[in-house]
Amino acid sequence: MSLKFVGKNITRPDAIQKATGKARFLADIHLPGMLYAAILRPGYAHARIISIDTTEAETSEGVVKVVTGKGCSDKYRYGDNIRDLVPMADEKVRYMGEPLAAVIAGNPHQAKQALKKIKVEYEPLPVYTQALDALAPGAALIHEDSGSYWHLPGVGPKPGTNIANHYRLRKGDAEKGLRESDVVVEAEFKYPFGSCAALEPHGAIVWFQEDGMIEIWSSSICPFIIREEVARVYERPESDVRVHIPEVGGCFGYKSDITVEQTIAYIAGFVPGHPVKWVASRKEDFTSTLLGHGMIIRMKIGAMSDGRLMALKTTIYHSTGAYSDTGVHVSIAAAHNSTGAYEYPHCDLESILTYTNTPAVGAFRGYGHPEAQFAQERLIDILARKLKMDPFVLREKNYLGPGKVTALGERLHQTNGDLRKCSDIIKKAVFEKPKQEEDSEYYYGRGFAAVMKSPKGAPFSSKSAYVKFNTDGSVVINCGGAEVGQGLRNVVRLVAAETLKIAPERIHVYTEIDTQFSPWEWQTIGSMFTKQGGRAVMRACQKTIEQMKHTASQVLRCDVDLLEYDGEYVYLSSDPSIRVEVTKLVRGYMYENGMVVGEVVQACADARLPRYSGFDENGQGSMGVSYTFGAQAAEIRIEKSTGKITVDHFASSFDVGRVIQPQQIRGQVTGGVMMTIGAALFEEVRFDETGKCVNPYFSKYRFPTIKDAPLRQTVQMVETPGTIGPFGARGIGEHPVIGPPPAILNAIYDATGIEFFEIPVTPDKMKKALDEKAAGGNT
Amino acid sequence: MVERAYARRTMSTTISLRVNGQDERHDVEPNQTLLAFLRDTLDLTGAKEGCNEGECGACMVLVDGRAVNSCLMLAVEADGREIITIEGIGDAEHLHPLQAAFLKHTAVQCGFCTPGMIMTAIGLLAENPDPDEAAVREAMAGSLCRCTGYRQILDAIHEAAGVMRVVPAVEFGMRGPAGPSGVAPGLMAPGSAEAAAGVKVLGLPEMAP
Repeated sequence: MSLKFVGKNITRPDAIQKATGKARFLADIHLPGMLYAAILRPGYAHARIISIDTTEAETSEGVVKVVTGKGCSDKYRYGDNIRDLVPMADEKVRYMGEPLAAVIAGNPHQAKQALKKIKVEYEPLPVYTQALDALAPGAALIHEDSGSYWHLPGVGPKPGTNIANHYRLRKGDAEKGLRESDVVVEAEFKYPFGSCAALEPHGAIVWFQEDGMIEIWSSSICPFIIREEVARVYERPESDVRVHIPEVGGCFGYKSDITVEQTIAYIAGFVPGHPVKWVASRKEDFTSTLLGHGMIIRMKIGAMSDGRLMALKTTIYHSTGAYSDTGVHVSIAAAHNSTGAYEYPHCDLESILTYTNTPAVGAFRGYGHPEAQFAQERLIDILARKLKMDPFVLREKNYLGPGKVTALGERLHQTNGDLRKCSDIIKKAVFEKPKQEEDSEYYYGRGFAAVMKSPKGAPFSSKSAYVKFNTDGSVVINCGGAEVGQGLRNVVRLVAAETLKIAPERIHVYTEIDTQFSPWEWQTIGSMFTKQGGRAVMRACQKTIEQMKHTASQVLRCDVDLLEYDGEYVYLSSDPSIRVEVTKLVRGYMYENGMVVGEVVQACADARLPRYSGFDENGQGSMGVSYTFGAQAAEIRIEKSTGKITVDHFASSFDVGRVIQPQQIRGQVTGGVMMTIGAALFEEVRFDETGKCVNPYFSKYRFPTIKDAPLRQTVQMVETPGTIGPFGARGIGEHPVIGPPPAILNAIYDATGIEFFEIPVTPDKMKKALDEKAAGGNT
Repeated sequence: MVERAYARRTMSTTISLRVNGQDERHDVEPNQTLLAFLRDTLDLTGAKEGCNEGECGACMVLVDGRAVNSCLMLAVEADGREIITIEGIGDAEHLHPLQAAFLKHTAVQCGFCTPGMIMTAIGLLAENPDPDEAAVREAMAGSLCRCTGYRQILDAIHEAAGVMRVVPAVEFGMRGPAGPSGVAPGLMAPGSAEAAAGVKVLGLPEMAP
């Protein structure tokens, strides 16, 4: 296939606005009559509210209204999967970042000043910051009434416990598989809480208007979920809720679902007629939006002495925080993707999603894959050592590929990509040369991880596109996909340019989502936009071509299937001189006498994953046989005197089917790798025993700076076309974050012989382990 | 019906300063940061608030030629100073070499850190026109980016530094008041030799053939 625009480094359309400081983010929006909210957070992570005294705050300078959550839980319940979420604490608080009261004032400073004057009395309750504590017999219940919560069929809380959801997948007979295995290895791994920590903090504006409309602006990736949830709760038609998404300054997962909008809507409901704006402080962005991960993973692998993998048993204890809704599917995805890139004939994979007194856990780039495959890829290396087998030989024997069956029961095909090719590329890039020998200052090591990514969606997770031709032949495209920096607008533009055979400069791609105008999209998650959104764009473009051909067939008086389209003309294939210009077709064709035939050239189309389904009684189902595979490896250096770990070279290869824009795909990979080099070496959102977050600042939640960027990142794509995405493309957004932690920890073993089972491996932990090893201790 | 409340202007101070080549005179509150002043009073929203603690660099502007976290400086402290923000260094027609290089290398993803990154880099290159990679890493360490992995930003700064050394006539981002051409400070005059040289050396991002 010869492509003119797809695969070229064509500049993304939003770059110039962003580089000149003109791109408009949520905090940049100002509306007439706007008021500002500040939110009070409780002094306890789990407590009954005895009283809230707002008298003094009400008379504070500039204050318009002081709001509490009293009585709100009867009327306002949110949740896509489990309706356990309230917009403001009512009767009890369940985590320290929870909204407890709010002040609405003329400016943000006045609102914050007044917060200090609110007095609250509590009756403290036991606090649990880890799933295993909340699961202990006799633990106090975080949700006493969880049995009464609405939930989707197939998921839901276990009343009388702190279990929010229990998922279990069975393939074959894992017990038997383990019994018959020659070798069994097992270990417990920890992937701690992390924050997506986008540079732009979360925020929202909500405005209850005179005509009954509720207008919302949010730094979110789910305008349609916000619209549907707010409409349901406020008993309005969905068409009366209008949600705008301006530029989003990074997401990485935590601006998905409904996370802060329900609270700002609740607050704004007290001052109808006024838009109410709230933007999280950096501290609130850590403590009062969504966190990620928080998993303990117990994993057991059985294998034959020749290296055939037989059985996998995974048990995941997932701390979901005070509200579970957004954690439900992360937890399920972690379990069924814990096989990683390998075929296991026998699986028993379960996850126990548990309420804890911490901020709610939701989507974080990777969505369960990084956590579970961290365990899988560490344990595969350990198994190889036990089998005295080259880890590459062990992996290659068991890679998923054509004819192999995933844990979910899906049989794979050539069109799912070539994992072996990716693996070979990385082997060559990192492991072909001899390993660098330890010197007086450093240990050196190399580690590998294979990666599998399934999409995580829902059966109705469509994406759609609207394509409109203008009279000059230029084109406008509107989609519901949220641009968060990943560059999907350029994907839309390049796919459309290629399909419509017109220059990308002639195609304008939407700069804002507005549910009043934008075509419907479930939400922009799961690395699915290029594949599904791109497919929707192609389908809509093809419809417009058909419309033009149809009109041209009347004008040129011939069968429609004899016509061709080249971007400028529709012409007769047997005689291209018989033709009509596209510009003469876009509003229908006008004859000299003024009569017009044919329809206006504009079309809408959607796309979803084929045969995507829910789970059966064994926890199996279909992901639309839509997987992506890859391989990653790290070359590291460990400073002997300090324990400091430096990643000198990181290599990644994914079979993405088709590269749409090389620089952008490279940016997704280098950024994703950097993000989880951070997870492997520094990042952890920590809570003390009272449930207080001890590091909600950039200076204390250390994520990688430019100083931590590897000297070299190798990024090499394999292009085995898939069958769903445009020109064979698959997703890439989340994939690069999966491999770095296991690859780096495997490299630490390679360098020092020390096994780590949890991240982050900070210099202190590394130094302590080195000292213990030197002293002859076990690690 | 809501009774709209307004701030009482207590103890406000008048400051005079020059912002992007324009003389400005405004009343400011004693606790107002330079960042809030630029964003709320002057409507220059290119500088972003990522943390309000001086820990992310998204609010970086030039104060008398040096890159400063504007969230850590009070507006009253800017009295008598010269401020340059992202809005003052280039526009679509006349991109600053750093802006052009960020585009060329796709060093822009979500774009929230981009204005601060570029202003930090201008500050660096003013002090050290030919930094090696270690010097760039050191100088840029206070400017966080969660999207790119930084490689593209390093490449863009390196390339722009090369352009700016070739075109020494233009003190990008730190020019005095607008000249008779009406060009804002830091901009390359349209059609100027400097602009032509900059574009030629840098090369523009690839556009469709």
